[in-house]
Amino acid sequence: MENLGIDGKLLLAQMINFVLFFILVKQFIVKPFTSFLNEERKNEEEKSRMLEKLKRSEEAGIEAEAKMKEKMKKEFDVLFVQAKKEAQGMRADLIKQAEADALEIKEKNSKLLEEEKNLLYREVKDKIIKTSLMIVENTLKDSLDESSRKKVTGAIIKNYQGRLKIYEN
Amino acid sequence: MEKIQKEQNRVLVLSADKLDMSERKLLEKKFSDLNWKDSVYQIDKSVIAGIIIKVGSKTIDLSLTGSLSKLSNTLYEID
Repeated sequence: MENLGIDGKLLLAQMINFVLFFILVKQFIVKPFTSFLNEERKNEEEKSRMLEKLKRSEEAGIEAEAKMKEKMKKEFDVLFVQAKKEAQGMRADLIKQAEADALEIKEKNSKLLEEEKNLLYREVKDKIIKTSLMIVENTLKDSLDESSRKKVTGAIIKNYQGRLKIYEN
Repeated sequence: MEKIQKEQNRVLVLSADKLDMSERKLLEKKFSDLNWKDSVYQIDKSVIAGIIIKVGSKTIDLSLTGSLSKLSNTLYEID
């Protein structure tokens, strides 16, 4: 070995040095680095899983939202149709009620008008009768002289047939 | 009591002018069921013509005023 120019001691020392170096590197650099890489890979995988999960969740959310929207639309349509029907029913009821009220008012007014008409008629009739009788009475009083009155009285007594109504006071 | 009864049955005749005897006799004949013994004849111008006989609470109206009153009632009854 010495002929080859290799120093055995040096070689040994270097070999020991190398082994020590190898052990030290393996122990303090490779292991932590590998561990770090593994950790990073795990983190990446976890991140990917999380992303995938998030994506799925997001897709599920969008799908659920769409379904919800569709459901809400259907419910809204149903409610709208129902509300429309109810509104139409209420409108019909209101119109019916208004018509009934109007008819009632009309009948009431008609009755009132008829009553007022009858009252006016009775008042006019009363005035006409009273005035006419007053005129007749005054005319008779003014136009009948004593002889005429006597003639009338005589005729009344003479023509009396006993069919007159007797009044109780 | 008897006086009151007598007063109640007394015949009262109202006329616009004084009735002569012939009219009174005719009247008594026509209403022979009445007691004419104590009859009273009074002049009432509101009668106009004809007579009104009153006996107690009863009235026999043969006057023009009564006829007008009846006519008035008839007119009120007509619709």
